[in-house]
This record gives sequence, C-alpha cells and structure tokens, in this order.
Amino acid sequence: MSAVKSAFKSGSYGLRALVVGVLITISQPLLYLIIRAGEKSAGDILALLTRSKTVEVLGVTLLLLSAVVVINVFLGTALAAGLHYVQIPYPRILLVMTVLPLAIPSYVFTYTWRALLPSLEGFWAATFILVLTTMPYMILAVTISFQRIDSGLIEVSRSLGLTKPAVFFRVILPQVRRSISAGALLSGLYVLSDFGAVSLLNVETLTVSIQNLYKSSYDRSAASVIALLLFLAAAIFVSMESFLKGRDFESRGAEGFQEQIRRVKNFPLSVATTFLLAVYSFLAVVIPFYVLISRFLQNPAAVAISDLTTAAISTITVAAMGAAIAFLLSLPLAFLATQGSSTFGSISEKIILMAHALPGVVVGLALVSFGSRLGVLYQSIFLLAFAYAVLFLAKSVASTSSALSLVSPQLKEVAATLGKSKSRVTMEVVFPIALPNLALGLLLVFLTAMKELPATLMLRPTGMDTLATEVWSFAAISRFNEAAPYALLLVLLAAIPTFILTIPRSARNEASVKAKVN
Amino acid sequence: MGALVIAGVSWIGFGSDNSSQNSSEKVEELTIYSGRSEEFIAPFFARWEKESGIKLNIRYGDSAELAAQILEEGKNSPADLFLSQDAGSLGALSIAGLLSQLPDSVGSEIESQYIGENRAWVGVTGRARVFAYRPGAVDPLPTSVAELSSAQFKGRVGIAPSNSSFQAFVTALISKKGEKFAEKWLAGMKANDAKIYLKNSEIVEAIDKGEIDLGLVNHYYVWEVSEALGREINAEISFFTPGDIGNLINVSGVGILGTSKKESAAIELINFLTAKPSQIAFVEDTHEYSLISGVKAPEGLSKLEDIGAPEVDLGDLEKVQRTQDLLTKVGLL
Repeated sequence: MSAVKSAFKSGSYGLRALVVGVLITISQPLLYLIIRAGEKSAGDILALLTRSKTVEVLGVTLLLLSAVVVINVFLGTALAAGLHYVQIPYPRILLVMTVLPLAIPSYVFTYTWRALLPSLEGFWAATFILVLTTMPYMILAVTISFQRIDSGLIEVSRSLGLTKPAVFFRVILPQVRRSISAGALLSGLYVLSDFGAVSLLNVETLTVSIQNLYKSSYDRSAASVIALLLFLAAAIFVSMESFLKGRDFESRGAEGFQEQIRRVKNFPLSVATTFLLAVYSFLAVVIPFYVLISRFLQNPAAVAISDLTTAAISTITVAAMGAAIAFLLSLPLAFLATQGSSTFGSISEKIILMAHALPGVVVGLALVSFGSRLGVLYQSIFLLAFAYAVLFLAKSVASTSSALSLVSPQLKEVAATLGKSKSRVTMEVVFPIALPNLALGLLLVFLTAMKELPATLMLRPTGMDTLATEVWSFAAISRFNEAAPYALLLVLLAAIPTFILTIPRSARNEASVKAKVN
Repeated sequence: MGALVIAGVSWIGFGSDNSSQNSSEKVEELTIYSGRSEEFIAPFFARWEKESGIKLNIRYGDSAELAAQILEEGKNSPADLFLSQDAGSLGALSIAGLLSQLPDSVGSEIESQYIGENRAWVGVTGRARVFAYRPGAVDPLPTSVAELSSAQFKGRVGIAPSNSSFQAFVTALISKKGEKFAEKWLAGMKANDAKIYLKNSEIVEAIDKGEIDLGLVNHYYVWEVSEALGREINAEISFFTPGDIGNLINVSGVGILGTSKKESAAIELINFLTAKPSQIAFVEDTHEYSLISGVKAPEGLSKLEDIGAPEVDLGDLEKVQRTQDLLTKVGLL
C-alpha cells in the first residue's frame, strides 16, 4: 500500500512517467527483435530453439559466462583487496595497470594475443581473454567501495579483538558484497554481448550465432529469435545477481569519516599480492602494448597523420555525445532512486541491465530499422551517439544507482529536519555525495563508446571514420601493421578516462565539487 | 509506368526518375555501400569522381552486414548502389526484390554466368578458388580437391571453414556433387587433421611460415599477404585440373537499389567499373580476374576461360544455411 501512496507523492508521478519514457526509448531494440521474431511461425521458432545446435551454443555461452564470472569474483576481489589493504610497492601505479585493460577493445586484445600465440583458440582461451578484459570492472567496483568503508568501523572491530583476517572476512567483505555483485554483473553482461574475442577464438556463443545467422543466411528473424534467447539468459543472470546480492543491509557513514587506511604489513602476503598484480598487468597490459608497439614500428607504410587526427576527433566527439545522452537518460532513474528504493525503480533498472547483454550488431540493426525512417537524422552523429547511449546506458545506471544507495537515509532525514525541502535535500545533500559515481558512469560510457565497432559501422555518417572502424578496415585485409597506429591511439586515448577512474575518490570528489561550484 | 507514377508523387523524383533520359538530369552525388575494402577500391572511386564530376558518399562495411543493413532499411535506404565482395550478398538483396533490373547495355561484355538473375546485379571482378602451397613441399601437386582428404595430405592442409569464401565453395560442392559427397569429403578433411584457420590470409601466412604445406584459398591472397607483410613470401598458387569443383569462380559485383532516384548516374558508375581501363587496373592492383574479354589474367595465372571452373549459379551461393549445418554436423564449425 505504501508503494501506491508514494507513487502519488508530489513530483514522483511525473518522474515515473519520465522513467517509463526512458524505458520505452531504450527498449527499441527489444521491440525490434519481437517484431522480427514474430515473422516466424511458432513452430519454426520452437524448432530453432530446440535444435541441438542452439542448445549446445546456449550451453557454451552459459559455461563461459560462469567461468569468467566465478574467476572474476574470486580473483578480482582478491586483487582489489590486495591493492587496498596490503603493503605493496607503488600501489597507485599497480592500480592504474589493473584498470588500464579497460582501454583495450576485446578484438584488439585478441588480435595481439593471437599475434604471439597463433594457436590460441577455444573455450579456455576465450575464458582467459575475457577474464583479462573484464577484470577491471570487478577491481574498479570493489576498490571504490573499499575506499568508502568507514574506517572507524574497522578500528572498533580491531579494538574488540578481531584478528585482521577476521576483520576482512567478517566486517569488510560483507560491506562490499553489493559491489562485488555489481562487478560480476558488468563482466557477465560483457561476456554475453562480446563478439570480438569469441569469434576470433572460434568459440560459438549466442552472439556469434546471431552474427552467423545475419551473415550466412540473411535470416533476420532467426537471428532475432536467438537474440531474444540471449536476452532471456541475461534476464536470468540479472535476477540471479540481485538474488545473490541479498538484502540491502549496508549502511555507511557520511563522507569524511574515512581516514588513511593502514595497510597490512606481512612480507609473504605482500610478495604474493605484488606478484599476482604484476602477472595480471603483464598479461593484460604489457603484452598487448608490446605487440601493438612492435607492429607499429614494423609498419612499412607512412602513417597518414590527417586520417589519424580526423578519426580521433570523430571518435571522441561521438563518444562524448553518447555519454552525455546516457547521462541524461539515467537522470530520471537516479532522481527516483533518491526518493528511496521502490519496486518500480528496481524493475526499471533491471530492464536496462538486461538490455545491456544485446550485442552491438542487434542494437545497430534495430536502430537502422527505426532510424532509416527518420530522414536526415539517419546516419547522423546524433543517431550514432544515441546508439551508444542505448548500448551502454546500463553502465551509467549501475554506477548512478549504486552511488545513490550510498547516501544514508539518516542523512537525508537530518537534512529534512533542518527544514530543507525535499528537492533541496536532493540537490544539496544527495547529489554532491553521488556525483563521483555519476562521473564514473559517464566515463565508463565514454570509454566503451570509443571502442564500439558493429553499431558504429552501421550508423556512422557515410564517410566518417572512427579509430575503431579504421582498425577494422585495415585488419580486414590483414594489414595489422597499418592498423596498429589506429589501435595504439585508440588505446592511448581510452587510457585517459581510465586513468581518471583510478584517481583516489577523495581527490576526485573534491575536484568535481569544485567544478560544480565554479 | 509504375516508376513514373511514383516519380510523380514524390517531389524529389519529379522529372528526374526517368532512366531513359541520360543527359538532362543533374546528379550531384551518389551514395554507395561498399563491401569492398577502402584500401583497394577507393582509387577507382576517386578516378570516377574526377571524370564524372559527381561526388560519391561511400559507406564501407562487411558485404553481408551491409546487405543486412539494406534489407533493414528497405524502401528508406539512402544507398544508390551496393558493391559487394561476393555474389551471395547481392543474391540476398535480389531475392528480397530490392535491386532494380539493369538494362541489357550494362555489362554487355560480361558472360551471363557472372550476371545475376533478372539482371539484378553484374559481376565486377572474378575471384578464383585455388590451392596455395609452399614450393618444393608438395610434389606432385594435387589434381583434384577430392585428393586432399587422402592419407598423403594428413595434417598438411589448411582450410577456413568459418570464412564465407570456403562456405561458397562447399555450397557449390553440395549443389554439384550432392550432400552425401560433400559430407564425406568434409568428414575426410576433418579426419585427415586439416588445420583450421579463420581467414584465407592466415592460411597463406601459415604456408609461408611452414606450419602447413598447402591450403584452400582465393587466388589473390598470396599477393595481399605479401603486400601486407612488405616482402616476398614463400607460397605459390595453382589450380586443380580443369573442371574440378575446387576451381570455383566467385565474383565481386554491383547492383542498383530499386529505390535509387539516380539510376542513370549509377549505371554510368557501373559502366566505368566494368570498362576496360578499370578492369585492367583491377587485374594489376588487386590481382583479381577481369570479367571482360581482351584483358589479361593476373600475372602467372591461366585465363579465366581456361580454368575450367564448374558451372554454378552464383545467385545460389546465397543459400549457405545448409552448408553451415553440414559443416557443423561434421564438426568443422
């Protein structure tokens, strides 16, 4: 009953309408899939879904998803904990190194590894590459919440006689469970939608099947049926995640309670942690960079600086526009979340997350289908930016809502008792606290949009090249050396937002508050 | 008649959608969806822009993906022409009724087997399936693709089953020799430890490195790989005995969208691509076969009519679903 009541509270009605508008907007691809799939008879759909090939591919997809997520959860949490709580040399540099792989598109990642090991292929190779690619999502999510844990709580636990491991497992870990599951969610959805790595490594997942159906039989209806199956898999995964994450029992102190944490000084632990971090950085950063740079140096052709510059400017412009649109689209949901958790809000959020599993080619074709009726807007940078927003809105929403969940209800109540109106509480208390995570969402969308390929190929203005399309066009004719400068520049440009993501929260918070004030 | 009615209704098309009048309309630009790589085709487009004074908006992409995109755009497609790497993608658009019938004057020098049904598209260049091998490593050379599943080639042959050019070959194999034969051969290749690669170019590189002795590829890849690496490579190509199914000829081709309002300008571009100077340039620059008579074969290769390619309806190469199912069944996909 209270949900109904709160729905009619002032402002919230209009807000919900806005959220519904956003949901309808980003559900275009889903709508498209349903229309296309509906062109097939029920019998055909059933036959397609139950044929042994589909079952097998679904199996491979789910196994790959589980393998990557399980490894990420354990290894990623361990690495993040090591980065934050263990005495290690150059923790800042190591943090940057472990997040930097975010800057490398999975197809570039796979190309570089295959350049070293041409026989690399198959399920375990895909698991390996995808773990390397998605680990930063885990490390980033968990590290950020470690940084937020009230250090007073740790002090109290220690003074009550808990050992250090006990503090970690019984006090710290339960508090970051939500972030661990958020990291697992983002990396899992990445695995579901990935095409670059799996196709190059010869592993047929649902995404590869979809692509094959489009390419080999031009059967858009069959491809849509399989895409809906992928969406269903994502739906189950997203629901499982919210089940595992459990009830919302974290309550945190306000900002400013955090003191400089004391890192654990234990020689064997430090050596082991440093070793693990170094190995990960080596495999996920040093090797791809080494291959790209050596390919770049072997490049016999002169690099066309003007092409490189134009492509870089286009890439940054459209990606930034996409991030801005995603940010705007995530705002209604964020405002809704500031009014406390609601079933409506969490369902909306889940729909957005599920849609994130759809691969770029599906979203691209859906927007071709709708967009081609829009006249001049079709194949304009606006539609492309909109495609990025639709593809990556989940990244923005995930960060935004986790940011808002961090604002303790007590703080809002205190502010309210001090006579501030609800909207002023939101603007003056809630948003400044949530801002760093909002910025994080924005950066993640920007970063991923820069690397996007399939939807870019379909929706970019005719004649416009991005760095990713340039890499593609040279790689398509085996000119990896000539692709190298573009790939290298893409990775370097993407490294900038990645680097910003690793700036300690407190510093970032200050900077963004300042920016807000100015 | 229908075209005239539509032209009358549509303000853009009024007075300009009449393909019989060639000179009076003033077309300023054309939009092309090109499945052919920018690196290779852009110089041709640049030459035509200069000659005709018409600006080209060129959208590069993968042939099959561009075909899917055009299917999705339907009557709203901004494209005037679709230039494809392979006949299959053109066949898909033709079946969907999205390509307009070309007048007999277009591609009049091109043999009918390289022209789509209802003249929906014409071939631009020929691409032969051949075997590439490392000189000295294979003696005697195989005479038929069927031999490659025999014991003497165990573990020595490279194929790319996920690649569309290999699948086009298997599709032809099925249509010529039947599914039973094709399945037996594919299973034989698998049992013979054929090495699997993703792309033709990887097969050629593997031969150069000595990983394998021989592989099934399109003929121009030895040049493409050599140019990409910037050096001579240790691989040569050869045809099987004339008439062998292994000598399939596929084409890259071009068609005009039924929705294009600039048909006569588009036809001029097709004529430019199929005219002798361009055809000679294709042979010299991309080492493909010319489809018109009087143009030499790529250096060191037999003439198109001497290859003894099996006669296959290239439009049928669109039907690769059965091929993929078969490849999956024998475990090559």
